[in-house]
Amino acid sequence: MINKHVISEKIKRAIIEANIKINPEVEEIIERYEGPFSDIIKENCRVSKEEKLPLCQDTGIVEFFVFMGHEVKLEEPIEETLNRAVGEVYSEYPFRYSIVTDPLFERINTGTNTPAIVHIFQVKGKSLEIRFLVKGGGSENLTVLRMMTPTSDVEKVKEFVIEHIKAHGAKACPPLHVGIGIGGTADKALLLSKLALTKSFEERNKDPKYAELEKELEEELNFLVIGFQGLGKGITVYSVHIEHFPTHIATLPVAVSVDCYLCRRGKVTFEN
Amino acid sequence: MRIEDLKAGQEIRYSGKLIVMRDQAQRRLKEIVDRGEEPPVDLRGQIVFYAGPAKTPSGKPVGAIGPTTSARMDDYLEMLFDLGVTATIGKGKRSKKAIEACRKWKRVYFVTPSGTAAALSKRVKKSRVLAFEDLGPEAVYEIEVEDFPLIVAIDSSGNTIFRE
Repeated sequence: MINKHVISEKIKRAIIEANIKINPEVEEIIERYEGPFSDIIKENCRVSKEEKLPLCQDTGIVEFFVFMGHEVKLEEPIEETLNRAVGEVYSEYPFRYSIVTDPLFERINTGTNTPAIVHIFQVKGKSLEIRFLVKGGGSENLTVLRMMTPTSDVEKVKEFVIEHIKAHGAKACPPLHVGIGIGGTADKALLLSKLALTKSFEERNKDPKYAELEKELEEELNFLVIGFQGLGKGITVYSVHIEHFPTHIATLPVAVSVDCYLCRRGKVTFEN
Repeated sequence: MRIEDLKAGQEIRYSGKLIVMRDQAQRRLKEIVDRGEEPPVDLRGQIVFYAGPAKTPSGKPVGAIGPTTSARMDDYLEMLFDLGVTATIGKGKRSKKAIEACRKWKRVYFVTPSGTAAALSKRVKKSRVLAFEDLGPEAVYEIEVEDFPLIVAIDSSGNTIFRE
């Protein structure tokens, strides 16, 4: 049995860290950036850590990806533990409550930054791995799904991704981390595109054909020269990650999700 | 310096007042204006900053604060200019309609660095709620800033720093 307080404490620490401490992979790239606003961007990394202030005022919606071993025993549903952890972190720290109750009619703030979004996947074994994204609204608004025709080729897929980033990339605080989900059903493709964002920049798709496509897209997206803050200096994307899944003979779903330049994410694991 | 003299790409540091107002506040403002009623905030001569601050830590004038995506609020831009707003501040590229509005009204659009809310909050000296308090982080605030970093992204002739 994994103690719920143990899970909660570890998750809380990870969420706090993601919000106030610059992602080390990102930090290296920021250090080298010399374009417009570079002084403030660098100062921000320092101030947030020293004063425990969030790197960005949009402290996001927390999206969890839970990989639960089939032998794992818990005291309560994992979603309850995770929501409590989010509620506590956002109340204890000067983080923004950005979640509203009803999306369309009564957009009343929940005052806890919950509910979080929780996806659960059951896997073999005794371990529990929880990945998460602290996802800002501006980057989330760039999420897009296209149901392409099943005869569409790689070039058509690339064209769709590039056109989308070209038209909207500057709105989401570039450089961007780009996640692409190909295959499955519409919802599966979207989920895969999000899952792709939990990966570190260096990871590559295990299938060499997809790994090649990741590299090609990364290069071509950087040719757009959108740059840091959309101001034309520095790289446009950090990395492109593709997740793929079998699909129906009549379909080719392609989903694109992006993360902003801060790439606030985390991963914690527990053993039963 | 006059707003009309600013050129796209120019970097400036601004000290003075800003009105913080984003999506839902502008939507409400439009409802009030459409009903022919007096707006709760006098926007004449003001600069509107599209932002929604995080909570204020005790002893500080403001919480983490930074720009949100401006293009989402392009539909309200002409209303703001009509109410006397001289400039807007946000992040990202805006629509052709917004560029055209800047040209027509001789107003400008600035960008300020996004995702740098901890650093920007150090440049805010004062903050108070002006209206729509029930909207929480989306309420209308007045803030006083010092050396606030801005780049002219659309100037009053409709020139822009963003690529097509």
